[in-house]
Amino acid sequence: MIPFPATHLSILERLRGGDPQVRHAAFGDLAEGYWRPSYHYLRLQWRLAPEVAEDAVQAFFTVAFEKGYLEKYDPSKARFRTFLRVCLDRFVQNLQKAEQTARRGGLAERLPLDFPGAERELAERASVDLGDPDRFFRDETIRALFGRALESLRRACDAEGKPQVFRVFDRHDVRPDDETSYATVARELNLSVAQVTNYLHASRRRFRELILTHLRDLVADDHEFQAEARDLLGLEVEP
Amino acid sequence: MTWLSNEAVDRLRDVATRPELPGDRYVILRPLGRGGMGRVYVARDNVLDREVALKVSNAPRASTALDERLKQEARVLAALEHPGIVPVHDSGVLDDGRVFYVMKLVRGRTLTEHAGDLTSEAARLAVFERVTDAVAFAHSAGVVHRDLKPANVMVGAFGEVLVLDWGVARRLDQSSDAEPAGTRLGTVGFMAPEQSRGDAASAGPSADVYALGALLHWLLRGETPPRRLRAIAGQCLAASPADRYPDASALAADLARYRQGAPVSALRESALERGWHWVRRHQAVILLVLAYLVMRALFAFARRP
Repeated sequence: MIPFPATHLSILERLRGGDPQVRHAAFGDLAEGYWRPSYHYLRLQWRLAPEVAEDAVQAFFTVAFEKGYLEKYDPSKARFRTFLRVCLDRFVQNLQKAEQTARRGGLAERLPLDFPGAERELAERASVDLGDPDRFFRDETIRALFGRALESLRRACDAEGKPQVFRVFDRHDVRPDDETSYATVARELNLSVAQVTNYLHASRRRFRELILTHLRDLVADDHEFQAEARDLLGLEVEP
Repeated sequence: MTWLSNEAVDRLRDVATRPELPGDRYVILRPLGRGGMGRVYVARDNVLDREVALKVSNAPRASTALDERLKQEARVLAALEHPGIVPVHDSGVLDDGRVFYVMKLVRGRTLTEHAGDLTSEAARLAVFERVTDAVAFAHSAGVVHRDLKPANVMVGAFGEVLVLDWGVARRLDQSSDAEPAGTRLGTVGFMAPEQSRGDAASAGPSADVYALGALLHWLLRGETPPRRLRAIAGQCLAASPADRYPDASALAADLARYRQGAPVSALRESALERGWHWVRRHQAVILLVLAYLVMRALFAFARRP
């Protein structure tokens, strides 16, 4: 049985709950999940320069937190991801209309986000389909979600003193080549095939749990959690 | 954070949903397809040393409606031993609670892909009759398919015809509580009017007859079929279930009559038409009798004093 995320409070409930600490943490989860797709979106769809896009993303999440933009989300109208993208579009439009620079030196808090890393990712892309902004933002969200789950898996394996488990997963499932098999990975990492089988079994399950955990932080409520799990993973989940 | 290419994302999505099979009998080889209820993989059966198809529920928890439906599909298939229906070999539950079952791996093309190769009416009707026979068998066993369409018919390399995807099939002897009013099951274009209205629970064998009529219509598209065949398709496609063939067996019987040149129940013909069909159906005998009579007449004429 797949364990589900421990918290049963949706992101909207956490944002609207009234407890400043819970709200701050919820916003942190949201920003962590969405800043990277937002940055790539502004760089490629809006064609903003790297430093302008960086500041726009910082400003957007900061202002959204201060003004409570995202709490106004209405689940009956669109997915939360779409709502957030539309908010981002309007935010950037307003910035440009007002002929403001996106740089907002006066912001009280700057989020510790790895923009140079996100910029390097753009440089690694062979081609980008910019035809459908919503599709682009969705794909970037999935990419960021899987990236976060992968990073969480690596950290968890390290913390538990089982780095080989992650190495097997990384070698076999994340970066395989035409020759990759259980046997080649076993030889490469000096393991038995049975160990590779067991490590993959454990890491795949953990990876799926982590995806669902992180996904829970990106959606507004249980209903959307189910819909996104279905769309992104083809899984029917029961929150 | 690790940069993931599109290929890596696709691979990880597959990994995240790939079933972890208990034991070492089956090993997943590759994905084969995905539907609303589950995913189908090509797997190797290490005990019998053969490739099989393995269908796994999309629902990651036991006892969900989807799991129940997949179990139901496996049970339905297991009960329907017929050359036109995919046999089930095994079933079970994954460690994460998802239900799976193992069935024959059908190698071939769907009727959607194969139809272009059926160049004559006789070839198309031959495939259609095989489909009708399989559905008739299911009806005789109290099972309604409810989603018949070209994509759910597989034509194998040796001409075998199999009806697939019994995922929304219903056993007529079981309660339909799981399908509240408003549930729409089936595919637009092949769905009976009662299914379109969301009355899936009451869709009986005549709903399959409607889908078979739509399938026949689809197979004969672009042609002007004979009047009696049009009448057969028309009776299948009647808006009211009461005006259709009651089940696929009745349709199969009318198709057999059509193939033999006999009058079909779907068309009330004039005495002249019936006579003409009778003549065509027995033309060899009639010719022999006529030849005999002519010979007798000639003989009698020759012997006349």
